[in-house]
Amino acid sequence: MRRLNPLSGALRVGRGLLQGAFFGVIAGTTLAGFLGLPPAAAPLLVPALALVLGGFALARYYRFTYEIEGDTLRVESGVIARQSREIPLGRIQNVDSRQGVVNRVLGLSVVAFETAGGATTEATLDAVAESEADRLRRLVQRHGEFEETEPAGEADADGAGASADPTARADERSGRVDSEELFNFTTRDLLTYAVVSVRPAAPALLLVGLPLGIDALLTVIRFNLGLVGARPTVSLSVLDALGPPRLVALVVFTALQFLLAALVLSIVLTVIEYYDFRLVREGDDLRYERGLLRRYSGTIPLSKVQTVSIRENALMRRFGFATLAVETAGYSGGNRESGQGVAIPMAPRPVVYDLAADIESFGDLDFERAPTRARRRYAARFAIVAGVVTAVGYAVDTFLFGSGYWWLLLSLFLVVPPAAHLRWRHRGIALDDDVLATRTGFWRQTTRIVPYYRVQTVFVGRSPFQRRRDLATVTADTASTSTIVGGSARAYDVDDERATQLREILRERLYSDLLARKHDRDA
Amino acid sequence: MESLHPRVRLLWTGRTALSSLVLVGLVVVADRFVLSLPVELAVAGWVILTALGAVHAVFAHRIWRFELQDDALFLVRGVVTRTDTSVPYVRVQHVDTTRGPVERTAGLASVVIYTAGSRGADITIPGLRPERATELRERLRDLAGESEATDAV
Repeated sequence: MRRLNPLSGALRVGRGLLQGAFFGVIAGTTLAGFLGLPPAAAPLLVPALALVLGGFALARYYRFTYEIEGDTLRVESGVIARQSREIPLGRIQNVDSRQGVVNRVLGLSVVAFETAGGATTEATLDAVAESEADRLRRLVQRHGEFEETEPAGEADADGAGASADPTARADERSGRVDSEELFNFTTRDLLTYAVVSVRPAAPALLLVGLPLGIDALLTVIRFNLGLVGARPTVSLSVLDALGPPRLVALVVFTALQFLLAALVLSIVLTVIEYYDFRLVREGDDLRYERGLLRRYSGTIPLSKVQTVSIRENALMRRFGFATLAVETAGYSGGNRESGQGVAIPMAPRPVVYDLAADIESFGDLDFERAPTRARRRYAARFAIVAGVVTAVGYAVDTFLFGSGYWWLLLSLFLVVPPAAHLRWRHRGIALDDDVLATRTGFWRQTTRIVPYYRVQTVFVGRSPFQRRRDLATVTADTASTSTIVGGSARAYDVDDERATQLREILRERLYSDLLARKHDRDA
Repeated sequence: MESLHPRVRLLWTGRTALSSLVLVGLVVVADRFVLSLPVELAVAGWVILTALGAVHAVFAHRIWRFELQDDALFLVRGVVTRTDTSVPYVRVQHVDTTRGPVERTAGLASVVIYTAGSRGADITIPGLRPERATELRERLRDLAGESEATDAV
């Protein structure tokens, strides 16, 4: 059995000592008086707690051992509650490693192994040397290749290229052959991507961060007040002195500044996340690396890909770019970084479609749209929203402002028909030879491609409003992650009869494709 | 297509009655400190909620159907949003029968079917007679085993 890197152990112990001392100081100053301890006890608490936490960290380091034996990964851990875990290598979906700033300096990385079950990462080695991380990754990778050559192997690897002698392939592997760079980001591309891919979370993050930069905030507010010709002091009474036009100018100006700041924040975050992004194909695995401060890298075995998603927001679509995301059954839980599973952050659409078709073979996708009565449904829904907004606006205006301009909100109804049309136009479903593809979203269009043999459960749902118009939503569930990005392929508002038909088709194709793949493997 | 045991309506209504009792209790407690509502109002609220629950249970029972088809388990359910679900037997990971305390008093059992999917990864068939639940579980286990064409993920 192997231990984690001694440097990381020392780091943990150091951190434990510091934390213990810190708690000691707090306990010594607050608790001693409260519990009526003698004054001499307070200084003693500091080294005592430091030793306890440091010792615990040391014990944890010594208890944590791991090893790849044959075709299982064994991990033993825990000081008080002991745990030992075995993971069959064939069941590992992804191997990821990440390096924080400290670990990068020390040449260490944290390796995480993901399998399909469970709510959290199945095994995390925090931390091992870079070379050891590499060795582990290769062992898992190589295992996947051996399995392909075993006819009875039950891993869902592709049957292709199974004739080579296993040992020969293993030798080849250790010589670092057949790695081909598929994609990398130049600085210019990265900046374009950072500008184009607006993060919806950026304004919220900025809002949370504002109190930290309170001085800068006050300076900006004073500057804004000066700009509209008010006294540059920060208080609510200043606002009373301003007339409505100047007040509106102030609000618009401040809002613009806020959005600009959010945009800059979004750009900075994206650059930090995707700096020096590289995607490499190593045999049957995709391997990515990214990050400015923290480096992330990981492998995605192509044979374990569940769904492929192509995302384009309105801006990207205008300029012919798209994002490619690949999902396996590995990641679970919603607390993953947004970039997880992204194979190509942004590339020209043909490049993205080519790689997607390389992963799951499909031809030109011919999307069938929902019947036009679905468009009427969207129009009705948007009209209700516009109506509610207008009513609320009317109430607020009459009771609070009394400006009498509430009817301006009625212009929202003008937007309803185009909005309904766009939503309808950007939704569709395509049945290709081997894959099912669904598409939705105008602002952020997502095209999800699911091979028939990956479909799990099929749901056909009809809400009361859909039943009125004989429409249904067909959901094909897959084993991939249930985050916002991931999950199931959904065909919205298809004709009711067509929905039942789709359910039957999906079920038939699941079985016939599974059998065909089994035949391929056995042959 | 098979429907659920009629007694499940009672079970569902009882469940709604219990949970709305908790809800009403919370409202009454919060009420004590902020403003005082008459107790009659709380009782009326509870009665209305329970009655709604009973109506819902009747409809839910009328709609609930399931069937073991050739290659998939097929279910129809849902009062407001109606959902047809088909679970291919190859995708079944494991099957449980469960009997909670309330279910035991009603003399009923449920079967839970797990798949590896992300959404609705576990599907419950409630309101079965215990013998039927066991039988169904064994039947599903056999069907899942027979159709083992590949890895379930």
